Amino acid sequence: MKKLIFARRSSQVFFLSLFIYILWSIAHADLFFKIDPLVSILTSLSGRIIIPGIVFAVVMLIMTFIFGRFFCGWICPMGSIIDGLGIKAKNRTLDLTQLKYYIFGFIVILALAGIQIAWVFDPLVITARFISLNFIPSFTIVLDKLFIFLIKLFNFYVPLYDFYRSLKFSILGVKIYYFSHSAVTLGFFLIICAFLFITKRFWCRVLCPLGAMYAMVAKFSILRRFVDKCSHCMKCKTSCRMSAINEDMSYKKEECILCMDCVYDCPAAGTKFTWLAKKAKTDAKGAVSRKDFLFLIASSFLFLGFKFKEGEAGKGLIRPPGVSGEKEFLNKCIRCGNCMRACPTNGLQPVIFESGFSGIWTPHLVPEIGYCEYNCNLCGKVCPTGAIPKLSLADKKEKKLGLACINKDICIPWSQNKECIVCEEHCPVPKKAIKAYEENIFGKNIKKPYVDSSLCVGCGICQNKCPTRPIRAVRVSP
Amino acid sequence: MFTRLFKRRISRKGFMKLCGIGIGSLVLSNSLLKFAFGRDNVSAGRVVKKIKGLHDLVAVKGDDPYAITVKAVEAMGGMEKFVKKNSIVLIKPNIGWDRSPEQAGNTNPYVVGALVDMCFKAGAKRVNIFDNTCNESKRCYENSGIEKIAKEKGANIYFVDDWNVVKAKFNYKSPMEGWPIYRDALECDTFINVPVLKHHGLTGLTLSMKNLMGVCSGNRGMIHFDIGTKLAHLTDFIKPDLSVIDAYRVLKRNGPTGGNLEDVLDMKTVIISTDPVLCDSYAAKLMDKDPLSVSYINQAVKHNLGSPDIDKADILAINA
Repeated sequence: MKKLIFARRSSQVFFLSLFIYILWSIAHADLFFKIDPLVSILTSLSGRIIIPGIVFAVVMLIMTFIFGRFFCGWICPMGSIIDGLGIKAKNRTLDLTQLKYYIFGFIVILALAGIQIAWVFDPLVITARFISLNFIPSFTIVLDKLFIFLIKLFNFYVPLYDFYRSLKFSILGVKIYYFSHSAVTLGFFLIICAFLFITKRFWCRVLCPLGAMYAMVAKFSILRRFVDKCSHCMKCKTSCRMSAINEDMSYKKEECILCMDCVYDCPAAGTKFTWLAKKAKTDAKGAVSRKDFLFLIASSFLFLGFKFKEGEAGKGLIRPPGVSGEKEFLNKCIRCGNCMRACPTNGLQPVIFESGFSGIWTPHLVPEIGYCEYNCNLCGKVCPTGAIPKLSLADKKEKKLGLACINKDICIPWSQNKECIVCEEHCPVPKKAIKAYEENIFGKNIKKPYVDSSLCVGCGICQNKCPTRPIRAVRVSP
Repeated sequence: MFTRLFKRRISRKGFMKLCGIGIGSLVLSNSLLKFAFGRDNVSAGRVVKKIKGLHDLVAVKGDDPYAITVKAVEAMGGMEKFVKKNSIVLIKPNIGWDRSPEQAGNTNPYVVGALVDMCFKAGAKRVNIFDNTCNESKRCYENSGIEKIAKEKGANIYFVDDWNVVKAKFNYKSPMEGWPIYRDALECDTFINVPVLKHHGLTGLTLSMKNLMGVCSGNRGMIHFDIGTKLAHLTDFIKPDLSVIDAYRVLKRNGPTGGNLEDVLDMKTVIISTDPVLCDSYAAKLMDKDPLSVSYINQAVKHNLGSPDIDKADILAINA
């Protein structure tokens, strides 16, 4: 009976499905990041604030102190994907496992200096971004096109079409999401998966800073592996996906993710995990030496390229509602893609290099793809770190994203004396931030739009709906 | 089996033959399927049925939007006059904006609910409800309250699909020529147009003819140039069987979006007519506007789509 392995696999499948479900349904999309100590603690550190929900992260660390790195083996969605893809992958012993501590140390040092780069290597963030920006859009577009193909080709207008329409209320969504530069996100994720060609769980062993954080706690964990009888067949050592088992059958406690493989591989049935075992003599020693630690601090200064230069980058970007300072925003934003996934008009898009290297994958509003819905505050609701503040609807309606500006050379009423004012029609501000001024031209009353800058919230619906092509006559600038 | 298939060697001639057969069968099957199932992509509009009610126009005033709608239709001769047994009915409300019913941006959900109930009572097989919204569709459907009431009453409410359209064709010269119109707007036995009466920046008022913009796909902002002629031609193309103007709550200014409760006026009226022009003219009068000053009513009169003459028409006004 492989009860424990079955339990571990079901737990992995369950949590991966839950992760995808949460992102798909948008509600409570910040849940998984709340239990992520790397994100919540380091963001608090770099932002000099205490973000709400940090309690959950501390609880996770305490649980790790009791059980060890159970998160990596049983919950982590990235770990589950890597395990799933890597069933057939080879398993080698690696000596690189200390690298993750350097990465973690590097992140902590920059966080102390006020620069937050936990998002670069956090596995939950990478997985969430992949699922929100790549997996869900591609899945829905394939399903949608398949339905359209079947309906159109075989004339299933009555039964199948009704089913397709009902799907649009649930999983398919009204809009097929599109994200610019999503190939970069996909590439980043695929590279991590491609490490499977080297060995199983390469990412978790060598690179993952969240793993390193848990490992440092798990070193002192209460639950531990205990070998009763041993025939030195080395089966557990060769099959261990984290190469946590040493030659002499002792093990590196901080590397063990409790996958339970060794319990069932053991022909003598001598391996078990118990609470009350004596400390083995040969548990591994401290991973990073003093010399290496000093070297790490010194080399960290080389990476000040992450530092944001005030007043230069990110000036042309329309940020989500409520975001105040660019610098603060970049420090708090972990680039998980929740806001972009939640935005009902698909207007929030990932930035690539418009805001410098430090601004990669942060959200900005592209009015030509989608505008900011006046009655909506979803992006703030799903933001796990409060980079986009949680605003009540009334507050959100007051927040200015930018200012609309009408180009009279292109605008149809101004340049061609024809009636239009689509922008005025769509303006969601109750008092209308775009007003029309009436002019009598050749006996015809033409209404010409102008912007009342005191009322305009810069939601961008005017730019989105402006009928002129290819350049819109109304543009919103921050 | 597949690996064996691909490992088999093939001569150049054999390869060419295989390609030829493949392409040939594809083309053949495609044309066959098109012949069997294909649908017209061009339409000349709905066929007029010219059903007349007991009166030209009925306006009912009362406190309950559901009850006054029922009363208005009954005064017109009952829904059985317009909806035949086992027919498909399209109800086209205004669900354009992400606004609550109190803000009067969209059609009152109870008016729509009453119409759905009456259609089913008259024996309709299917009642379709949709609108091409201006704000994000899902939010509009939810917050207007129409999705909830439609699903309760058993009507089919769905989002529009931009691939399921037909191109409009006119037998006169029209700026709307070739405009994509949603197929379900044409493939229905009864078209009930249910706009909400409100202020509109460009045309002055949003009325039943303006509401028909919701069956158009494409870059709809373009309809705004020369809007009068375009809407008149669109009305001629769709030929709605029944127009029900919801004037229960009316947006006086800052339309069509509104959002400020101070701009909303309680008129508590439902206007119903088989003639869209008469219906619009009556509603314009209700708002103290000269009907002919509204550009699309003016153009519709020029196209002989109906009469704007309220004094001559047989009008029944009920105060419930």
